[in-house]
Amino acid sequence: GVHCGACRKMSVYELHYFNNRGRAEPARLLFAAAGLPYRDIRIQSEQWPEYKLKLPMHQVPVLEVDGTMICQSVAIARYVAKVTGHAGKTDLEQAKVDMLVDGIDDVMTKKGDYVWHEKDETRKMEKKTAFYETTLPQFLSHFEKLLRTNNGGDGFLVGEGLTHADAWFLCLADDILLDFPDIFSPYPKLAALVERIRTYPGIKEWLAKRPQTPF
Amino acid sequence: MPSYKLTYFNGRGTAEIVRLVFAAAGTEYEDVRLEQDQWPELKPNTPMGQLPILEMDGTMLCQSNSIARYIAKLAGLAGKTPLDQARVDMVMDGMVDMGNKFAYEIYYEKDEDKKAEKKKDYVEKYVPQFFSSLNKLASDGGYFAGDELTLADIAFYNMTTMVNPYLEQPLSLDGFPKLQKVEDNVTSNPGIAKWLKERPETPY
Repeated sequence: GVHCGACRKMSVYELHYFNNRGRAEPARLLFAAAGLPYRDIRIQSEQWPEYKLKLPMHQVPVLEVDGTMICQSVAIARYVAKVTGHAGKTDLEQAKVDMLVDGIDDVMTKKGDYVWHEKDETRKMEKKTAFYETTLPQFLSHFEKLLRTNNGGDGFLVGEGLTHADAWFLCLADDILLDFPDIFSPYPKLAALVERIRTYPGIKEWLAKRPQTPF
Repeated sequence: MPSYKLTYFNGRGTAEIVRLVFAAAGTEYEDVRLEQDQWPELKPNTPMGQLPILEMDGTMLCQSNSIARYIAKLAGLAGKTPLDQARVDMVMDGMVDMGNKFAYEIYYEKDEDKKAEKKKDYVEKYVPQFFSSLNKLASDGGYFAGDELTLADIAFYNMTTMVNPYLEQPLSLDGFPKLQKVEDNVTSNPGIAKWLKERPETPY
């Protein structure tokens, strides 16, 4: 069907994930920014072995839209952004948003590798050190530069308004600030961007009321 | 019509999905292949210090899947409705996961015993289970979205052929008839068939 203002308000959205921010949080931020209602389902771990068999790739997050299941966190966030007008205004803007999201996703995947997959404690510490001494500073300096190319860096990452790139960026920021509260000191525009997203109408209220979880 | 310039190293790698989309779209582009010693000079001028990049009309895009989606979108190969587009995106992302798992657990593993064990697990458990999920998502005609060729089908073909050279034998599509159809639809697309015949032979 065609998505018009009236139609999208009638669609039923259900977001399936665990009781974490994790890879569902960008979509939750976008729903919040748009004031678009959805069912924020948080699966208990005991339910998981059976639950996953119903899901397209046996993974979460999954977004159910009127019964149709979409998986993969980046695809879900992009879809919610499209429905709520936060995907970028032109094809090119959307591509710029997408490339920034991919960059953030790469960094999150790298972090996830040492946090969740690396079992050897020595290797884990080595990877963590490399992440914070090399990977992250390189990434953040690219992003500070990219942000500054957009209206001097005093707005959002791409174009004129909030996009899913900003939603992803806040999620990454929340995560890395837990380990290193000073991580943004060399990157003033990014630090200001994080605050700008935190106080965005809808997001601000969600941050105040969302379940508090360690990650 | 803007002029497109794709820059990568002389290999298929992460640029190949873009080249396949250009081929399917029938869109002309300059296929620039850098020597390793040309890269350091270009690197600081790229958005994230990585290749591939796509240049057009004074703009530079990076990130292979975002570039591929952009070119596919312009050619109507990215899904017709927002939900179809989400289906295309989720399959693409699933293929990236499959590639990342191979890279992180196998390709970068230094311990030979662990590597062999992980490879066995990948080929005997992970891939069949993942292909089973993908087979359910594909249509009887062999398409992941909208019953016509999209970037999702191309991504499936591209990633499976990317890991195959690193395995003892190519991944099997036995038991996954719809996935075999997906592969056939991709390789028989006229633009892609021509590219597969003409593209440079490279080690990766």
